[in-house]
Amino acid sequence: MLLFDANWSLMTPEIVLAAFALLIFTIDFMTGVKGKKPFIGRLSIVALLTTAALVVGWNGAQTASIGHMFVVDPFSTAFKVVILVGVALVIGISMYYVDRHPDMYQGEFYSLLLFATLGAMLMVSSLDLITLFIGLEILSISAYCLAGFRKYHKKSTESAVKYVVLGGTASAFILYGMSFIYGLTGTTSLVDIGGQIGTLFEAYPYLVMMSLLFMIAGFGFKISVVPFHMWAPDVYEGAPTPVTAFLAAISKVAAFAIVIRVFFIGFEGIYEEWGFLIAIVAAVTMVVGNLIALNQHNIKRLMAYSGIAQAGYLLVPVAAFVTLDMTVSVVLFYAIAYVMMTLGAFAVITFVTEKTGSEDILSFRGLYHRSPFLAIAMSAFLISLAGLPATAGFTGKAWIFFQAISAGLLWLAVVMIVMSVVSFFYYFGIISQMFMKEPDEDVVTRMSIPVSTASVVSVSLVVTIGLGFLPFLLINLFTSMNWMAF
Amino acid sequence: MVSIQFFLALAAILFCIGLYGVLTRRHLVVVLICIELMLNAVNINLVAFSSIGPFANITGQVFTLFVITVAAAEAAVGLAILIALYRNRASIDAIKQDLLRW
Repeated sequence: MLLFDANWSLMTPEIVLAAFALLIFTIDFMTGVKGKKPFIGRLSIVALLTTAALVVGWNGAQTASIGHMFVVDPFSTAFKVVILVGVALVIGISMYYVDRHPDMYQGEFYSLLLFATLGAMLMVSSLDLITLFIGLEILSISAYCLAGFRKYHKKSTESAVKYVVLGGTASAFILYGMSFIYGLTGTTSLVDIGGQIGTLFEAYPYLVMMSLLFMIAGFGFKISVVPFHMWAPDVYEGAPTPVTAFLAAISKVAAFAIVIRVFFIGFEGIYEEWGFLIAIVAAVTMVVGNLIALNQHNIKRLMAYSGIAQAGYLLVPVAAFVTLDMTVSVVLFYAIAYVMMTLGAFAVITFVTEKTGSEDILSFRGLYHRSPFLAIAMSAFLISLAGLPATAGFTGKAWIFFQAISAGLLWLAVVMIVMSVVSFFYYFGIISQMFMKEPDEDVVTRMSIPVSTASVVSVSLVVTIGLGFLPFLLINLFTSMNWMAF
Repeated sequence: MVSIQFFLALAAILFCIGLYGVLTRRHLVVVLICIELMLNAVNINLVAFSSIGPFANITGQVFTLFVITVAAAEAAVGLAILIALYRNRASIDAIKQDLLRW
């Protein structure tokens, strides 16, 4: 296919987002690096929502691809909307944070966030190992910079170093696996690989299995599942809190999208070989994540382990494969719920830890007396994360549970339920701090909540509760979808 | 013509040396160099497959160019972060970075 025959208009949303990111970068230089720049934050939100509108309006109805490298289909459209709305919420969270820290250079921060979003969008649209790798690295390298963004803050730089070293190693693992797949098939297109993988596995079982294991290790790092999770608590604790929210929600969801794409397009032919491996990884992730979270005192570290456990829940539908459309629907529903409740919780966490100057769980003591709205919203997010009824988290978990049962993985479903019960303990620890304890004497005054934080919390709260009461709005839509075109 | 197994063995050895270095070295600059070694092992694999592999074609070399570019970007960011770390801690010894642990 010639270069000029390609339907480049499919990339319009990405191009628009890249143009906005460069524009913000330029405006930042022209207005001086330091200082408060709320207009740049608002411009970033406009950029993200414009891109989301383009994703739906420009590309939404069609399924097409640029030479099997870059694909537009309902799967990528849905994940892109989740990612873009999520990043807009992350920017809403960061507006309060960056104003309080003069070492957060605002223009650079927002444009790096937009570049990371661009990488995530490329990832979910890729149908080829090369574009997938490029998208993954655009996201990862921006995330390394963001994690170390407070360069005079010791924990921030330390977390960035850990992230860069371990992330680079994970990339090398993914690439080493990919290089064997390329060598044995002579193509990097996932569709062509999927066509050959069955016969290939019969000819070279060990080589294919080895490259598959390398890729599971590398992708497992990116979605932070046990035993590749060790970076997550350290990076989440050290990074600036809005960046932690970004890593926990957006980066993880985008990595899940490529896991589904790679394993179900490229390796579906040998599902029997890796399905049980994913099931074991999911079970171990749920157990370890929830058990270690029990004795955490730092709220960001606790959210990191909770995020590891949630990644385990999200892996269950990947392991419990019935049909591809069903798996995508279940993962996408829980991903939407997860992004909303995590970002809502992080909006509250950012505000409270900044107000009290401490990241200990005790800083939530008596939050109900200081700000009833934040306390009630935070409880809703935590209840949803724990998976109790009338919340999006419950519906998502129930759907995952039935999926696991219908795939015959009863033991995995049981592990999931038991571990959800374990997770109640640490989520309710925070809730009891907020409601049962009296606040310290000196902070008894009511908090005034900034508009940006309040709106992020409200949006997340509406979606979390709304999807709990009216899940069939989305479920009916999802089950009627034909997610992947190729 | 040299058989492809030799190239694959070289890449595997290089990858293992790199991984060993990442896991054991304390000097963070050396750790970054070892990551580059691992990425270059991938490059040798790709170039070998693309010239004398069972399905030799140009895609592998294109992939290699992308890997080299990304590796350079990653090294640049990594070294920048190391400088920030050195300013804060006056040390880039891996095991002295112990503020974050459970």
